[in-house]
Amino acid sequence: MILPILLVLPLLAAAMALLRKPDHPLVARAGAALSGVTFALALVLARRCLTRGAVAFGPGAFLRADSLSAILTLIVSGVACVSIGSGVNALRHGTGENGPIDDALRRRYHVLTHLFVFTMLLAVLANNVGVMWVAVEATTITTAFLVGVRRSKAALEASWKYILIGSVGIALAFLGTVLGYFNFVQRVGQTPYALHWTVLKGVAAGLDGDVLRLAFVFILIGYGTKAGLAPMHTWLPDAHSEAPAPISAMMSGSLLAVALYAILRWKTVVDACVGHAFTDRMLLLIGTLTVTVAATLLIRQASYKRMLAYSSVEQMGLVCVGLAFGPAGTLAALMLMIGHAAGKSMAFLLSGNLLAAYGSTRIASVRGVLRVMPWSGGLFMIAILALMGLPPFGIFLSEMLLVRAGFLSGHPWATGLVLAMVVVIFVSLLAHLQRLPYGEPPHEVPRGEPDRSSLPPLALNLVVLLALGLVVPAPLLRLLGRAVEVVSR
Amino acid sequence: MSADLYTRLATLASSLVLLSGIAILWRHSLQAYIASFARQSLLFVMAILIVAVGEKDPRLYGMALMVFALKVVFIPRVLRRVQRHVGAEMEIHPYVNTPVSLALAGVLTLLAYAVAQPVVALSEAPTRGGIPLALAVVFVGLLILVSRRSALTQIVGFLVLENGIALLAVLVTSGVPLIVELGVFLDVLLGFLVMQVFVSRIRETFDTIDVDRLRGLRH
Repeated sequence: MILPILLVLPLLAAAMALLRKPDHPLVARAGAALSGVTFALALVLARRCLTRGAVAFGPGAFLRADSLSAILTLIVSGVACVSIGSGVNALRHGTGENGPIDDALRRRYHVLTHLFVFTMLLAVLANNVGVMWVAVEATTITTAFLVGVRRSKAALEASWKYILIGSVGIALAFLGTVLGYFNFVQRVGQTPYALHWTVLKGVAAGLDGDVLRLAFVFILIGYGTKAGLAPMHTWLPDAHSEAPAPISAMMSGSLLAVALYAILRWKTVVDACVGHAFTDRMLLLIGTLTVTVAATLLIRQASYKRMLAYSSVEQMGLVCVGLAFGPAGTLAALMLMIGHAAGKSMAFLLSGNLLAAYGSTRIASVRGVLRVMPWSGGLFMIAILALMGLPPFGIFLSEMLLVRAGFLSGHPWATGLVLAMVVVIFVSLLAHLQRLPYGEPPHEVPRGEPDRSSLPPLALNLVVLLALGLVVPAPLLRLLGRAVEVVSR
Repeated sequence: MSADLYTRLATLASSLVLLSGIAILWRHSLQAYIASFARQSLLFVMAILIVAVGEKDPRLYGMALMVFALKVVFIPRVLRRVQRHVGAEMEIHPYVNTPVSLALAGVLTLLAYAVAQPVVALSEAPTRGGIPLALAVVFVGLLILVSRRSALTQIVGFLVLENGIALLAVLVTSGVPLIVELGVFLDVLLGFLVMQVFVSRIRETFDTIDVDRLRGLRH
């Protein structure tokens, strides 16, 4: 029963936002509370997956969660809980370029935010890869308006690119899904549960390798577009930098991971048929390309929000590379996914405070952050240091494990290249951001935290980042181990 | 219907769907694009009906009806309304001119034949002759998307691409399971509605729907 309840909670929050007046304090608070409950349930789900292996619900196990889905559910609901909790006041005082943000806009914002969370949860909990596709496509539809909620020229341009490139990409993923289904029907025959990935995987050994390889290429390009993998990443820096902070946090922290999850599900099916060498090669190729492109574009970045977005591109590339390095690499990749979700959502949420105070996303106009807002500024710098891969944070440990797995699995060249790019990114981020905390802030910037209520939820991010880097809790390690088994067996 | 006739009809319908997609590449007025898309969707409905009769699959009649309502009637109507509303008439200065576009369409069709080979080899369906053609429709849709500058034409390109994928699904497996089919329909409908809202907003904000003007955001 836990699976349908997980899905109903965000729907409930959306319904409440639809019915109540949008500036009613209850709407934002109850939404935040419900997302907190969702996260708590995700923890329960993770526990059950540890004790029982997998949880299923409905005819033919329509909804199903194993350790891998449990990790993604934790990421999605955790990031949502922090973002919605921290962004309670996100739109309260904001104005768009084309007039103030009115009630209708605010209502739409709340409703779509919760629907967005719902679609992500459905994507990771659906057993049917077709339903998973429908859910991922629906994330594009729900977020397109959210990206453009400010109605500025830039926001409009960003949302147009986003919806067009996103829809085309995801359409190609559907083409891949159709090819996979056709393969199944041709070899096994029509059955009602043919698209359930448990069923697909069960018969994968008897499927046609060539068609499945072709399907995987389309799936990698398709979901890869949503995951921001190069060369289909062009929409990402625009959309992530123009969206309101809580939406950027969720799109970057969890939606990218959900898209990679879809690729990972298909990888297990393809691997069971043709062995893992093919998918590994593809992932390694696209992953190294993505990391290289991100490093190149990060060097000359003038906006801190775009910088964060390119750092997301980099991290998704790293995750892909990790997935290509066998079980040890997969473990590192999953850890990196969690660390990135915590670090990047934190950085994006705080970038909202920076933007509120300085009124600009240009790095050059932001000075003396620590003096203006010691808490937001300090936490922002911590998040950036974590994202750069410094100890004692989780991303450092995952990147070390990833590099180790790369060398041990016999990919010294690719690993060396990736490592070099990580260093380039490290230096660029450091060079761009070293001036942010210090110096004389501009006179017109008001001193003090713009929104104190946005800070407490970020404690969760800090705990996750530190726990992953210092002592990975034993249950989480077991959960990660199980998820690696799901992927590589 | 004899097996031979069924095969011929299915292939014929698929090639007509492809041709009506390519037609978009040598027209210039947005009205003609919308009309071409509506025609392509109608031909796609024919293809579904042919497969429905050939496979004796009653589910496909329902699908044909849905596609007809959505892609032949509703979407073209909304597109025409948006086009009147934004006042755009012509696709001027495409990134790729007409002769090159048509040559590229030819190359893409050949590519589709090469790519679809393992699929055709595996298929035992009498309709397998149409598979490369459906894939070619997908590629032509992509070409329209990347080579044209009007936001409205880009939507048409996306819809053509979508038609190609749906045609492929019908040809290879008589469509995907019902729940997925319904989900896809809903997504296409909602996605299209969101896109057309954005076209109007782009017109209001930028005074044009030439997406080449949308270049405020660069790296």
